[in-house]
Amino acid sequence: MTSRRAEIRRALSFRNISAIYIFIVLFVVFTVWIPEKFLQVGVWRSLLDAEALTGIAAIAALIPLVAGSLNLAVGAQVGFSAILAAWLLGVAELPIAVELPTVLLAGALIGLVTGLIITKLRVEPIIATLGMSSILLAGMAWVSNSQQILGLDPAYREIATSRFLGITVPVWVLLAVAIVTWYVLERTPVGRRMYAVGFAPDAAHLAGIGVDRLRIGSLVAGGALAALAGALLTSRLNAGDPTVGPSFLLPALTAVFLGATQFRAGRFNVLGTIVALYVLAVGIKGLQLAGLPRWVNDLFYGLSLILAVALSQWEKREKRASAEPEAGASPSAPSPTRDAAGAGG
Amino acid sequence: MTHEIGRPLLRVRGMLKMFPGLVALDRVSLDVHPGEIVSVVGQNGSGKSTLVKILAGVYAADGGRVELAEGTGLHFIHQDLALVPELSAAENLALMRGTGAGGLAPFHDRRRSERARELVARFGPVFDVDVPVRRLTPAQRAVVAISRALDGWTHSANVLLLDEPTESLHRSEVDVLFEAVRRLAADGTGIVFVSHRLDEVLGLSDRIVVLRDGHKVADEPAHEVDESRLIGFITGAEDGAAVPTTPRTSSSGPREARAEPDAPASPPALRVRGLGGGSVDGLDLDLRPGEVVGVAGVLGSGREAVPSLLYGAGEASADLFEVTGAAYADRSPAASLGRGIAFAPGDRAHLGIVREFTARENLTLPQLGTVTGGLGRILSRRERAESDLLLTEYDVRPHRAEQRISLFSGGNQQKIVLARALRDHPRVLLLDEPTQGVDVGAKATIYAAIGRAAADGTAVLVSSSDAKELLAICDRVVVMRDGRAAAMLQGDDLTEHRLIAEGYGLP
Repeated sequence: MTSRRAEIRRALSFRNISAIYIFIVLFVVFTVWIPEKFLQVGVWRSLLDAEALTGIAAIAALIPLVAGSLNLAVGAQVGFSAILAAWLLGVAELPIAVELPTVLLAGALIGLVTGLIITKLRVEPIIATLGMSSILLAGMAWVSNSQQILGLDPAYREIATSRFLGITVPVWVLLAVAIVTWYVLERTPVGRRMYAVGFAPDAAHLAGIGVDRLRIGSLVAGGALAALAGALLTSRLNAGDPTVGPSFLLPALTAVFLGATQFRAGRFNVLGTIVALYVLAVGIKGLQLAGLPRWVNDLFYGLSLILAVALSQWEKREKRASAEPEAGASPSAPSPTRDAAGAGG
Repeated sequence: MTHEIGRPLLRVRGMLKMFPGLVALDRVSLDVHPGEIVSVVGQNGSGKSTLVKILAGVYAADGGRVELAEGTGLHFIHQDLALVPELSAAENLALMRGTGAGGLAPFHDRRRSERARELVARFGPVFDVDVPVRRLTPAQRAVVAISRALDGWTHSANVLLLDEPTESLHRSEVDVLFEAVRRLAADGTGIVFVSHRLDEVLGLSDRIVVLRDGHKVADEPAHEVDESRLIGFITGAEDGAAVPTTPRTSSSGPREARAEPDAPASPPALRVRGLGGGSVDGLDLDLRPGEVVGVAGVLGSGREAVPSLLYGAGEASADLFEVTGAAYADRSPAASLGRGIAFAPGDRAHLGIVREFTARENLTLPQLGTVTGGLGRILSRRERAESDLLLTEYDVRPHRAEQRISLFSGGNQQKIVLARALRDHPRVLLLDEPTQGVDVGAKATIYAAIGRAAADGTAVLVSSSDAKELLAICDRVVVMRDGRAAAMLQGDDLTEHRLIAEGYGLP
């Protein structure tokens, strides 16, 4: 079973799961550097919880990206939904059972409008979502008067802060969202078609795929998920804060792009995104605990984003180089490995 | 006009160029004298464009040499003219000339325009040189390109090579271009005119050089050649006699191996009347189950647009469109697939495949429903088994369903594209250039697969620029000219000579 062994070796190769090796390095470094602060159960538990909303936002960015739309409005979508949730509860005084579905619906609607702008008005996704981001920021300022919305139903706070099996609800929500998204993207025709649309829209169209419909659908799903993150954010803060949402964009996109270099090299994928998210968070947390100033966050995410994309480009080139001689070689022996020719492991 | 006086300006001697498994140019020689217009003609794959690319320095030759007479410049007008469409003629003409002070010195609009008008005036009526060239007529654009090629001439003698310059020109505009070319020749410039439009070649040239399969098969004064002889040279049937051509590859005999098409009584698999869209303008067509119908024609005849229009990939109109007798409106790729119409596009890399996908993912993409089980899940075991089977059936090498499709050779990619199109046993199979960039072995596999599909009752339409291919696999061939069917060739009429003559509109 050499092929089996090759498969395992490839699966464990640095190239395939570099984030996990980086995690190990970070862990060792911080354990040696600041053991008394870093090795606390509380630190890790709060890390898990704190990043859950970013994780949902990352998946909200991931889904449209698979179908070819880079969504720069994810942060603004989270922020707008958070303010909307606070306004519905605190100002309009609606019950939670009405507020929550309304926020999700509004998020989906924002996705729909963005999708229509991209597909019907033929505006490049990056421009459409940049514009949409600014519009949503304006909407946030308008609804909130650029001030915190306080005095929410204390019961609403329970949603994001209560625990189940020792783990907070947002983490469970992230887990559920991740599993469903993973299933759809990796195991269903819809997911396969979304990847086809993202990679080669013209070829996908000729293969009978409803390109526009999938694009719009991916943005609607992403919008609803961003709204979910926003609603949970307001619950966690027990207030509507117009400044928090937009800061979700960079970590979310960084996780998605770094995640694309993991596991399914070259494809945006859920597992890679979640792993990348927490590896990045551990790095940030360690730096904070070591006493470095807060602006290190932005520096870290910015560098990681560039590094992630550079890494995937490098991988593409390497893949081509290592594959050339192999492509024409031995016509026999069907290989069970995924992307066998590019493995080089 | 004889120009044999003096030394030739350009001498090509024993030019040799080999590609893997193919001799593209086999010791071709060519002279161009001052004031002489030499045309180079030949079919696709004859070596024409290889010769041009060697002269232009795109390819390095494997043997032979190019000599230019003392003080002679060699200039090129390529098919796309290489103009900047958003800039005016005057600006385009100024691009090539250095501005002196490091390119940052201000220029004089008026002087620049005057100069441009002077330059274009040498070739006929002056036009507005200050509007973007995209707003000029194609012929005017060609004049700008020629003027630009000439503007930099500092040599005492020149050779101008025009590579398919009339491709985008309307018939009436061709005269404008030819007038310009004749004026140049009259001034002593040597002209090399590469074209596949035989009437133009005959009308313009002093001498005609014919290439076939990399060999120079004729080099004759134009007045000693007529259309029939020229076609004879091009096709290899000397003297233009209507010699039926035998299929190129011995293993590609689906025509013989297949049962006769169904009786005309059964409704055609596809019937279209007055198809229009793109360069197609009023095409009537019937495809019967089990027959292979070719579409031929020169570039721009509409030939290349027919399969995608029938598939519903582009904006198309039709007076009547029926699939096995049932009307079919609101055409789209998805609806066509639903009605059993499959399509393999010519632009494989961009339209035929998803390059980032594996062979397996590409194979099942259009028809994922057949491998989908409960909970909308793709049954990966079934998908794998089916892909493996298809790779075997179509002899895809290497036999690796999990390999990225972009890592297969062109021929094997095309086999995958064809396997995918035929996976659901379509009623109609539409093929655009099915063997473009495909090696000989893969070609045989593809022809065999087309033959099998037809034997199973699929109606096949093949649009191809390769006349030999159409002869090898088609029962009949529609020859397109100016967007319409100019002729329908079958039986004894289906010869390479007739195919080419009809394509050019020659008797």
